[in-house]
Amino acid sequence: VRDRQIAWWLVRTYPRSFRDAVGADLADALLDRMAARHQAGASRANVVLRALFDTATNAPGAWGQALLDAIRDRRPAASHVHDGERTMIDKLRQDFQYAIRTWRRRPGFAIVALVTLALGIGANTALFSIVNAVLLRPLPYAHADRLVTLWGKTPSNPQSLISYPEFDAFRRDSASFDALAVWLGNSVNLTGVSEPQRLLGAFASGSFFDVLGLKAERGRLFTHQESEPGSVQPVVVISHEFWQRRFAGDPAAIGATLTINAIPLTVVGVLAPPFDVRSVPSDGWFLGYDVYIPAGHFPVPGVAGQGTGSGGLMRAGPSMLSVGRLKPGVSIASAQADLDVISRRLEAAFPDAQKGRSTQLASLQETVVAGSRTPLLLLFASVGAVLLIACVNVSNLLLARAVDREKEIALRAALGASRLAVTRQLLVEAALLAGVAATAGLALGRWSLQTLTWLRPPTVPIPDRIPLDSTVLLFTTATGIAVAVLCGVLPAWRASRLDLNHALRAGFRRTSSGGGRTRDVLVVVEVALSVALLAMSGLLVQSLLAAQRVQLGFDPGSVLTLQFRLPASKYQSPQQIARFFTQALDRVRGALGVTSAALVRRVPFSGNWGDTPFTIEGADTAPASAPRAGQNMISPGYFQTMRIPLVRGRDFTDRDDLTAPGAVIVSQTLARVAWPNDDPIGKRLKVPESPEWLTVVGLVGDVKHRGPGDLPQPQLYLPHYQVPLIFSSLVVRTAVPPMRVANDVRNAIWSVDKDQPVWTVRPLEELVSSSHGPTRFLASLLALFAGVALMLAAVGIYGVMSYTVAQRTHEIGIRLALGASGSRVRRDVVGRGLWLTAAAVVLGLIAAVALGRAAQTVLFDVTPTDPAALAAAAAALSVVSLAACYIPARRASRVDPVIALTEE
Amino acid sequence: MSIRPVEFQILLTLAGEERHGYGIMQEAARLSGGTMQIEAGTLYRALHRMLKAGWVAESGRRPAADLDDERRKYYRLTPLGRRIASAEAERLARLVGAARANRLLTRA
Repeated sequence: VRDRQIAWWLVRTYPRSFRDAVGADLADALLDRMAARHQAGASRANVVLRALFDTATNAPGAWGQALLDAIRDRRPAASHVHDGERTMIDKLRQDFQYAIRTWRRRPGFAIVALVTLALGIGANTALFSIVNAVLLRPLPYAHADRLVTLWGKTPSNPQSLISYPEFDAFRRDSASFDALAVWLGNSVNLTGVSEPQRLLGAFASGSFFDVLGLKAERGRLFTHQESEPGSVQPVVVISHEFWQRRFAGDPAAIGATLTINAIPLTVVGVLAPPFDVRSVPSDGWFLGYDVYIPAGHFPVPGVAGQGTGSGGLMRAGPSMLSVGRLKPGVSIASAQADLDVISRRLEAAFPDAQKGRSTQLASLQETVVAGSRTPLLLLFASVGAVLLIACVNVSNLLLARAVDREKEIALRAALGASRLAVTRQLLVEAALLAGVAATAGLALGRWSLQTLTWLRPPTVPIPDRIPLDSTVLLFTTATGIAVAVLCGVLPAWRASRLDLNHALRAGFRRTSSGGGRTRDVLVVVEVALSVALLAMSGLLVQSLLAAQRVQLGFDPGSVLTLQFRLPASKYQSPQQIARFFTQALDRVRGALGVTSAALVRRVPFSGNWGDTPFTIEGADTAPASAPRAGQNMISPGYFQTMRIPLVRGRDFTDRDDLTAPGAVIVSQTLARVAWPNDDPIGKRLKVPESPEWLTVVGLVGDVKHRGPGDLPQPQLYLPHYQVPLIFSSLVVRTAVPPMRVANDVRNAIWSVDKDQPVWTVRPLEELVSSSHGPTRFLASLLALFAGVALMLAAVGIYGVMSYTVAQRTHEIGIRLALGASGSRVRRDVVGRGLWLTAAAVVLGLIAAVALGRAAQTVLFDVTPTDPAALAAAAAALSVVSLAACYIPARRASRVDPVIALTEE
Repeated sequence: MSIRPVEFQILLTLAGEERHGYGIMQEAARLSGGTMQIEAGTLYRALHRMLKAGWVAESGRRPAADLDDERRKYYRLTPLGRRIASAEAERLARLVGAARANRLLTRA
């Protein structure tokens, strides 16, 4: 039975016409032969392999025969009929067959052209799919065009969070919104299970679901009232994934209790996934959380009894993200005006909290995709340039052939063939090329897209799944048509305005100027484009190097970081928290391979950061215009562990606790801003967290906190034991590779409290390095495209110069016969090539600077006119083009005058 | 019109009687004393070509009922195929004669 199947599969590899004639018999014969071999005692593998081998040696030949037959069958039919009576279809079919025949005669040309174009179209399809998914497709929420984000705005910070009282006022007083919501993603602790877990939680107002049009799959969602700080209920909504993961999809999950941040919450519903979140660029923006918790439970630092509906959120200051759905017909501008009025009223009513604050509206789409736009468009432009170069090459090849065929074309025209026929033939060939290349390109593009999403670093906001929709198909089709036009139009145009007299009189001698000017222009265009691409990728590489060279102010090597958060209900008093921290630190320091360890509220490059206003003793500043400083809480030993230089004064000690007078350590920039001419040690300042004045006890170096691009910012450090918070991170300097101590460190923490979830255990170096991820990704992609462009340009120059030399063989022969030296001829040819290159390089560099200006946001510490990048691009192109010119030039200098002249 | 060795072999097997494909393969092996085996793909590629060229044709007649394998197509030589086969045989015979004259063949 199985042999029969094999036989049929083998028969299927033959062409259709063949199968129709003898397919069934072939299958029988294959089967008989296999049976005979089985009987003769051959192994099954042997039998099958021999049948396979037989097919492999014969099927290709059958295909070749079928193709030949197809062409032969049609040709005589077409030639019988008088030209004028043929239909357009007939003519096109003949052109089509002519093109196929030409390719068969010169497969090299066809393969080069097809591969180049397919790669070009493939890259464009892939990039366009991403651009489409990220920038063009509307976000998949209901009424996505009316969704807006709200941002708090102060003179120093145009995009800050919204405070709950602001949200409350907007919700009550603004007439512009259908619905308005706040939410904030925050990691939460799930306890009361075998191993404590960290979950991704979203603290949201009940209106959140309404704004986004989200529905419950099971149970219900919570209402706005249930989420408000005054009337918050102990309920929670879980995501579909979490329901599957934690409850295995059990309907009994509704009504179950989850202890989250030590508050027992009842599961009231499962959120229905509205779409495949992996295909949306806002992935992780609204969705992708495990649990949705009423906003009133939001843990507010420093407020006792938090999360129990005490209204801590009302006093927490700006702490939430906000999203709203405008009423139909309300523009962003009019909603903005509406909010401005309310903001001014709030400012008048609460001058302390609201001075200088206003609110800024932005469309949700813009908020989500703004950061991706420049890099994506840059990549898209570069693949566009690559395709353009590919088209120029193919156009050049077709043009060269058209020139070669001038005599034939002229003869046909003289004999009465219409010029249209000649033009049409060239266009049909170009269209055929483009069609085949577009089909291959579509497949190639979709495949490379898969690879691309695998290779991309997690910080690059490209969706995991990129849909192939009608827009992408349309784009690829349009690209195919554009390619056909670009490749076919120049040669066709040239052929159509051929001067018959000139072409026929020229006899066998080729005209030396044929198509020369056009080809020169094409070469200049493609070289200029590749110079621009090379220069741009040079700029990006420079950016990457600059970012890696940046002095971070600390030493990330051999440092392990991890985060944890204490359940607020279990660690109520500051003393309890401090006790846990000191014990845990002691245990960690005792672990093998650990040199030093310290606690820090926000690890640099971890994505956590915060700043605070501060007032300087003796300076009279209004609260709203107080200077701000990056703020961190640290335990003793932090500077030593991070190798941050202590410039003056002392580090914190274990005695800087709640009973000691308040102490603070400041960075050099803060000292320079606050006390430009004085020694900062002993000076005093105040932050909102502490009621009393804090004395500066130490001065440390500046640290880059958010990324290598940070501007020098004032930074201040408070002793962890004076501001004990439930969440913290641990930094551990190790004598061995950091990840090797990870387990011991984790166990050390669990030995103090076994209920303690620990997460993001990572080497600090990895955090720093991943901050370069997007630039590195962009730079490597662009370098890849630039490399391809360079290669294509080289092929283009080589092709044109070779062709020119071939055409001028006769003339060169005469010159050599008249006594010109070989090196003179060589110089001439190379000189011409270099002249073209020089013109192209100048144009390309201008384009590169313009491109760099447009894409300034992706550059780091590099100007678009960076001489190194521009010079490198110019040099690379010059070397390549010199090499590409030299080979034809050498051929020219070796022309044998006798042969060249007798050719006539 | 040139003829390939495998085509000549097929014509040879059909000269005596009509056969189906596998029959041709067996007969070819027998005629060559087991030294030449035609594989199925090779056979049908050649047959397909020869059918189109009119050297062989499908046979309408069937052999005796007890020998018939009713699924199968039987092939026969056309007059053209027979002429080509004999022309090739004569050419080969002349070559064999020449080989003998030059003492390349010792037996028979």
